Amino acid sequence: MVDLQLLLHGFATVLSGYNIIALVLGSFFGIIIGAIPGLTATMGIALLVPFTFGMNPFTGIVMLLGIYTGAIYGGGIASILIKTPGTPAAAATVFDGYPMAQKGLAGKAIGMATIASGIGGTFTALCLTFFAPILAKFALRFSAPEYFALAVFGLSVTVTLTGKSPLKGIISGCLGLLIAMVGLDPMGGFPRFTFGTTQLTGGFSFVPMLIGLFALSEGFHQVEVILTAPKVSAVLTNIIPRLRELKECTRTFVRSCIIGLIVGVTPAIGAETACFVGYSEAKRTSKHPELFGTGILEGVAAPQCAENASTGGDILPMITLGLPGDAATAVLMGALTIHNLQPGPLLFRDHFDLVHQMFAGMITANIVFVILGLTFARFFAKVINIDRRFLVPLIFIACMVGSYAIGNDIFDMITCVFFGFIGYVIIRYDYPVSPMVLGQILGVMMESNFRRSMAMSQDDLLILVTRPIALTILILAAFATITGIRRQRKALQMEEKLARRTAEVR
Amino acid sequence: MANLTMKKADIIAVTIVIPICLYVFYESAQWPVPALLGRPFVIPRGVATLLVVAALLLLYRAVTGRSLPLENPLVGADLWRVIGAAVITFGYLFVVERIGFFGTTLLYMLLFALVLGERRWPRLVMFAILVPLVVYVLFSTALHVPLPRGWIENSLREHGFALIFR
Repeated sequence: MVDLQLLLHGFATVLSGYNIIALVLGSFFGIIIGAIPGLTATMGIALLVPFTFGMNPFTGIVMLLGIYTGAIYGGGIASILIKTPGTPAAAATVFDGYPMAQKGLAGKAIGMATIASGIGGTFTALCLTFFAPILAKFALRFSAPEYFALAVFGLSVTVTLTGKSPLKGIISGCLGLLIAMVGLDPMGGFPRFTFGTTQLTGGFSFVPMLIGLFALSEGFHQVEVILTAPKVSAVLTNIIPRLRELKECTRTFVRSCIIGLIVGVTPAIGAETACFVGYSEAKRTSKHPELFGTGILEGVAAPQCAENASTGGDILPMITLGLPGDAATAVLMGALTIHNLQPGPLLFRDHFDLVHQMFAGMITANIVFVILGLTFARFFAKVINIDRRFLVPLIFIACMVGSYAIGNDIFDMITCVFFGFIGYVIIRYDYPVSPMVLGQILGVMMESNFRRSMAMSQDDLLILVTRPIALTILILAAFATITGIRRQRKALQMEEKLARRTAEVR
Repeated sequence: MANLTMKKADIIAVTIVIPICLYVFYESAQWPVPALLGRPFVIPRGVATLLVVAALLLLYRAVTGRSLPLENPLVGADLWRVIGAAVITFGYLFVVERIGFFGTTLLYMLLFALVLGERRWPRLVMFAILVPLVVYVLFSTALHVPLPRGWIENSLREHGFALIFR
């Protein structure tokens, strides 16, 4: 159970000295990153991880939490002002946000988006605070077979639910698993796939690879679309919504908070899904569904609340089980590992006070971005107009120098650029990147726990199916894989039918 | 045309993936089998097998014309911009430890902004000088991370500019 005294102490730590400065700076940059179309929360965290190395671990973590929550919220600003989501998580905010801007109500839309995001994020941070210790305590009963099953579950859900093609998801995930095996064998200590080079003895550096796959690959994409970035011309007035308007959206907030939390907890599904589900449920249950899409406050509040409500749910499996909920939490997990903090139940056992500080940090981060968002709304709106011809080279340099800074090794920089280019090419041809990254994270977990299970049972595979928790998780993994593949195939068949009909009409 | 491009990409992907899988089988056969530490080749071979099956299915889909359509083919000026960015970025990797961070980054920013279409020279030059300066100060002083030196900085140090560079 959560320790309230430790939690209060956590708040005191967050609000003191460098921690609050780091949190405010993180939120500020997170909102900027989220507001600029093409720059994602994952990219922002990956870019800024190296900057946290010189900091105290908690200060670094709280800064990254600020970036994460700020960027998820910030995507709504571009959705409202230029009809282009700043991040994929804000896609549904366009439906009513942009029509409001066209009516001259851009300021009100941004104000509602800010408060809705804050409510969703704070709710889910509180849920994380109260549920995480319970889940972590349960997870302490896990042994090698259960962790193997969890890794299989995480991988199977990710490869089948991300991207257009489960086949390409499987290929991406398997390549990630193989990349994770480069280096020394975790139990035997002999080199694997190193081609005789000393640089590969430790495997590929994880953070430069993350920076490359998530940040630099997006940088290459920005080079491609550089000429098509739209400009903001709206004037923002009446930013803070009236109390009456907030009261009218109360049911929307409650519904979106619950939707966001449930979606966030589900592996491989994150804020991008939460915003659409939140919006569609708000429309479906509304007394006036015909008004959705014409520019109403509820149409902005629902997706923004749901997307930020998913953040706590995404962090929950990562921090309690070591199983990242999405790409952003995978990067956060990498950052925690760099600061010598291994996410999972042992983090709760060995660093209970630090965990409470993180909960306090998460709750505070959601309040901080509301204050920043309402205060500096006009500034963030102007940021969207930043010249990409200067921003994109800056992103490239930040990625390369950040990667170099990790170990003062040019090989890390090479790793970043190599995976950045590979990431760009594979995304172009519909191979999702998330399974590749999760394959690297979960591959280590899967292989080492499989080998431990075999050592425990003296090579008897039945150990994986005779333990009830492991068996349940493996059955869930099989079920999720089958339903995920069937759903993707139906979606692809619909697309093919539509393409054929369109071709016939022409 | 779009399908043909994705079809080619899928076939190329298969020709890359299958040799990787064959290499996994080849190398894993040479690993020792430590006592009481499980068989190290099980997971790698399992993953390689799954990858071969997936690759062959992808090849089948490509050959039978069922590849997903490529939505935005990369052609013309967009393609040349990406190639330009890739060439100068890979070039940066080769040169940065020889010339040093400051000089290489200055040149890199200049060339990159030119590739992206910026032609206003005063802004270009100011940007190319300011960025490496700010990054250098941030990393070297605030974060205490030394950046690659190269011969420019080493020469400046030898000639008594050690005060500027810590």
